[in-house]
Amino acid sequence: MLVPIFTLKLNHKINPRMVAIGKYDGIHPCLTAATQAGKVFIHNPHTRGQRPAAHRLSQSTQDSDISLLNINQAVSCLTAGTLGPNTTGHTLLVGSQTNLLAYDVHDNTDIFYKEVTDGANAIVLGKLGDIPNPLAIIGGNCALQGFDFEGNDQFWTVTGDNVRSLVLCDFTADGKNELLVGSEDFDIRVFREDELVTEMAENETVTSLCHMHGSRFGYALANGTVGVYDRTARYWRIKSKNHAMSIHAFDLNADGVVELITGWSNGKIDARSDRTGEVIFKDNFSSSVAGVVEGDYRMDGQIQLICSSVEGEVRGYLPASKEMKGNLMDASVEQDLIRELSQRKQNLILELRNYEENAKALPGVSEGESKKGVIPANTQLQTALSVRRATESQRAHIELNISTPNETIIRAVLIFAEGIFEGESHVVHPSVQNLSGCVRVPIIPPKDIPVDLHIKAFVGGKTSTQFHVFEITRQLPRFSMYDLNVDPSATQPTGKVTFSINDRPQRVVMWLNQNFLLPEGIDSPDITFTTLRAGGLLKINMQPSGEVDEFHSVHQKLTAAMADHSNYIRNMLVQAEDARLMGDWRNTKKRYIELYDLNRDLINEYKIRSNNHNALLARLKSVNQAIQRAGRLRVGKPKTQVITACRDAIKNNNINALFKIMRAGTASS
Amino acid sequence: NLLMVMSSLFSQVGVTSQKTMKLLPTVGRKATQKYQQNETIFFSHWENKCMTFFCQPVFKSLPGQKISRLELGGALGTPQEKIFVSSGSEVRGYTKKGKQFLTFEANLTESINAMHVSGADLFVCASYIYNHYCDCKDQDYFLSGDKINDVLCLPVETVGRIVPILACQDRVLRVLQGSDLQYDVEVPGPPTVLELLNRDGGKGGEEVLYGTADGKLGLVQITKSGPITSWELDNEKKKGGVLCIDTFDIVGDGVKDILVGRDDGTVEVYGLDSSNEPTLRFENVLSESVTSIQGGCVGKEMYDEVLATTYTGWVSGLTTEPQQMVAGPGDEIKMSRETQGKVAALRAELEQLQVKVLQGREKYQQSSQSSTAVSSVPVFSINDKFTLCQDDASYSLTLEVQTAIDNLLLQSDVPIDLLDVEKNSAVVSFSECDSESNGNFLLATYRCQANTTRLELKVRSIEGQYGTLQAYVTPRLQPKTCQVRQYQIKPLSLHQRTHAIDQERPMNTLRLTGQFSFAEIHSWVVFCLPEVPEKTPAGDSITFYFQNTFLGTQLEATYCKGEANFKSDNISTISILKDVLSKEATKRKINLNTSYEVNEDSVSHTLRMIHPKLEYQLILAKKVQLIDALKELQVHEGNADFLIPEYRSILDESAQLLEEYKKQPAHLERLYGMITDLFIDKFKFKGQNVKTKVSQLLAILNNYELDSLMEFFSEA
Repeated sequence: MLVPIFTLKLNHKINPRMVAIGKYDGIHPCLTAATQAGKVFIHNPHTRGQRPAAHRLSQSTQDSDISLLNINQAVSCLTAGTLGPNTTGHTLLVGSQTNLLAYDVHDNTDIFYKEVTDGANAIVLGKLGDIPNPLAIIGGNCALQGFDFEGNDQFWTVTGDNVRSLVLCDFTADGKNELLVGSEDFDIRVFREDELVTEMAENETVTSLCHMHGSRFGYALANGTVGVYDRTARYWRIKSKNHAMSIHAFDLNADGVVELITGWSNGKIDARSDRTGEVIFKDNFSSSVAGVVEGDYRMDGQIQLICSSVEGEVRGYLPASKEMKGNLMDASVEQDLIRELSQRKQNLILELRNYEENAKALPGVSEGESKKGVIPANTQLQTALSVRRATESQRAHIELNISTPNETIIRAVLIFAEGIFEGESHVVHPSVQNLSGCVRVPIIPPKDIPVDLHIKAFVGGKTSTQFHVFEITRQLPRFSMYDLNVDPSATQPTGKVTFSINDRPQRVVMWLNQNFLLPEGIDSPDITFTTLRAGGLLKINMQPSGEVDEFHSVHQKLTAAMADHSNYIRNMLVQAEDARLMGDWRNTKKRYIELYDLNRDLINEYKIRSNNHNALLARLKSVNQAIQRAGRLRVGKPKTQVITACRDAIKNNNINALFKIMRAGTASS
Repeated sequence: NLLMVMSSLFSQVGVTSQKTMKLLPTVGRKATQKYQQNETIFFSHWENKCMTFFCQPVFKSLPGQKISRLELGGALGTPQEKIFVSSGSEVRGYTKKGKQFLTFEANLTESINAMHVSGADLFVCASYIYNHYCDCKDQDYFLSGDKINDVLCLPVETVGRIVPILACQDRVLRVLQGSDLQYDVEVPGPPTVLELLNRDGGKGGEEVLYGTADGKLGLVQITKSGPITSWELDNEKKKGGVLCIDTFDIVGDGVKDILVGRDDGTVEVYGLDSSNEPTLRFENVLSESVTSIQGGCVGKEMYDEVLATTYTGWVSGLTTEPQQMVAGPGDEIKMSRETQGKVAALRAELEQLQVKVLQGREKYQQSSQSSTAVSSVPVFSINDKFTLCQDDASYSLTLEVQTAIDNLLLQSDVPIDLLDVEKNSAVVSFSECDSESNGNFLLATYRCQANTTRLELKVRSIEGQYGTLQAYVTPRLQPKTCQVRQYQIKPLSLHQRTHAIDQERPMNTLRLTGQFSFAEIHSWVVFCLPEVPEKTPAGDSITFYFQNTFLGTQLEATYCKGEANFKSDNISTISILKDVLSKEATKRKINLNTSYEVNEDSVSHTLRMIHPKLEYQLILAKKVQLIDALKELQVHEGNADFLIPEYRSILDESAQLLEEYKKQPAHLERLYGMITDLFIDKFKFKGQNVKTKVSQLLAILNNYELDSLMEFFSEA
């Protein structure tokens, strides 16, 4: 059994996912984490009693090992590492919703303090692609921005939705790092500098990413899933009812391969094999885990795995010694083996009994038997998918029709599928009066993704207490929300994309048949659909030469009115403070009343400002999304050009140019 | 304290019932030997096999109904090594070698669910009936008012007379004398198991241990004149209900310890201190409910073990032997020869089974081609329990299946809240409900992790809203089937039976008269209230007492043919009863005359009862709200010295406060809901509709003060 080699109680709360270790003087590792009230604390147990308090840094009176850093804003992400080319120590980077601070803890100076309009939800520090200097890359509302040590933004691009997690990793095995971006639209995107290499669709917000080794990386989703990818292929994943707060790669059993260490919201820490996901170690904190990092915290040359909880408890684990032979848990191997074998035996015996009893059952069952849910042996479940247009009572949807061929009834249908229901499952349970052999399930997939529907139907008689479970998997094609029936009066689409492919038309027809939900197969690639989500038309034409036109009228309306930068920032607080400090005893009451009024005004103004800010953020987000969509209509170099040109246009506040670029693809002409 | 580790895990044998494992005494060994090796025998009703240690079958009984109990017996004063098993309405006796020497048909209409053997005396109980036989001849008979869970007889050798004790569901132990009731012993919960202290009833032979369905333990002395309670142990940690008890000196200090097995898999060892009060010495949690527990020496000589069988038939031993890990030269951990042999045998067995199963599967597949064949899968057994927890006034549902559960679908036609249970690792997903067309108010799926055989859920109901909760359980077993279990959410779901009520409180009464029979009115009461026996009670009239587990208000129900009286200090309870009963009567076209008497004082009385709870919750909520802000101040200023003592104490107690707050989710909302109901019901009886004033009431509750609330109640 592996036990922690040190445990610390820091008496400071730790914000989840905002934990890092930095060697700010180049030698001593310090645990750094964001805490309440817009502060960052640095735990430095190595050099006691020689730190002056000045500028941002102040010593905590509770614990002499802890220094507090005032950010005065809610911290949203932080990291530490080497940023500048000539600095000895690590630089601390702290991101908030409006700013990015690069701070030299050792010298107690700001390196740079930048305003970032898109916010910083996630931060990563390191080298990207061919850019010579390490960059601090932040991910905000649909945008990615990379700063070098001078605070110049060397890198800027847009992505599909709000960024929640970032990691640098040599995804393509070309010796250079690619940027992996996990966002709120459930996608993991891979950027080689500003070029999108590939994207992988997941089924929830990607909350954490971590590099394992080579091209392998771990990920965590907001629904409690963690797993490992090797390039675009998922190796394994597991789902828990708890949420993964932090993931980290660390070789805990000393076998030369890193494991995926996950810290969970219920305080559990587990280490899983990178190949199979099998748990090799687990431990428990009394509160939710905040972050998992690694460092040589005891300064003895051995790297420890350091886990911290939101309540400020920190535990360090050394990798297992050779004697433990990879067996980190206190369970006995032999007992587990016997238990597993007996369990299997038991299952086989039970299954066998099922067959034996079944063979005894005679056709023409008595009434008493109907409780057992006896059904004709040749009962087969039929499923059909079809597109249904919107009616007055129901939105447009895809209908899944499940039916039995005989007098048996379907008691309930469970559909397990990812990303299309609120939870992971959808249940249809008709009331007793509505029981029949046919169940219709409306499905509305929110996105164009292919989904596997794992259907479980409980089939039996009307009075049964036991039912047969039919398990069927059906695939919902990617473009299922497109209806072949077209209203002739619909306006023709105006926008279009033209491209050429070196495939025969038959191949395109095949692709169409596979990816659209068509009542019967089609044989020509010239086809028109109604998009059920927005109501526009999608028209596909193909010239024999191999040129395909795709018209899409569902265009993105660009809200050009960039919200005014409101001028509400005032130094009210200073005034308030003054009022309080100046108050001599006679005027105290009066001052307090003033302060109260001031405070109320402040709150009101803050509310206005916050509303304004939210509106601004929403606008910015849609602008960024629009740029991304404009980019996606082109491929390769023109795409990069569009994005860069758009960026310049926004910087210059030139909205007309923005429209032009999106339409034409370039800023000139 | 006591340290014990999981020693040996014997094989799995199939579902076992409560109290079906015993250790056979050893005979013919040197009496001087301190440790005597016992032999285990236990009965699995699934394969109908009686097994010994290492699962060598001794004998196989004829297939039939499940084995409900196993007891050891023999002539008084000799080693008790004859084996008695009860199955259906039959009791069979076997010798140690497995030879059957007795078959006794008790001629009961129901199957036996409890049995005790003492010399030539045999005591058997079906659900409500108790029978005593001597040498298989009928002696005594008793009809109990509620279900009998266990039966015991004080040792005849020491006490000198036959004193049978019945553990009954209505929270009493019934002590009999012949065919008559001598007296009742009130216990704090529905007793599920009875056991003699030290296996012989202690010094006077009169000491009896009992365990209850809500996890309480107690020791009571059954004297000639009446009961003397020695101690009662509360279930503070909310462990499972007690299923089995044994006394054995496992610590080796000369004082017998109490071994307890619970339905949530907990195995406990209690030691008795100098004042004979029990203290917990050891605890271990198995993954399934513990059906029988015994202390003895089985695996290794010289080391005592606690042996436990679980629901699916695992027999586990917890040994006092110090365990050492033996690491071999290779990478694999060395296994003992014994284990290796076991593993090899198991693997061989598995292979054979695999072949058979494949054949079976093929045949089954073929049958699906035929148009005349049917597919009928035998019913798998589910061990389920749906109980009201007194502490947090919520229902806990536990489901246990022989094999791993794949998924569970919960469906309810009444609005209920599903609460998260920490122990439960299954992934829950709530599905959209179509309450209008199909009457679903809850549709939730639980997808279980591998090897989950037991699931625990918590459900919170609202009084007045009644219906059915259904659970569809699908185990991981081919061919896949699922079974549905139904649980009634009764109109007064938060009420619990109690022994007596406070008659001093101001009471409201509801009086019903009409052309209904005793059985009819009883069935309506069963429909409305939990913990009432299904069977119509004997006699002409009956009185039941209940307590509301959430508010502490009470209800008295007295009824006979043609007349029923309900008294409660809570006007909402009366209002719910009135609505439900008149609806039920209308359904059966019975004309009911309802009259009620509303005591104005009762409302303020109820409000005063709620007051401390509400105040406590409000203060707690306020304190919890402050914690974060205070902590921030503390960080900002560096210390908490500048704060007023009240705030400092909040900071100091923050951990406990948060814990307390977490324990009672939505407590305040529930209290608000009940006060609102009270308000509406009060004026409903006056014939006024005050729904429009509810928002005013909520405003008052937000700035709660008892006086202003009372005033609002009286004014409106």
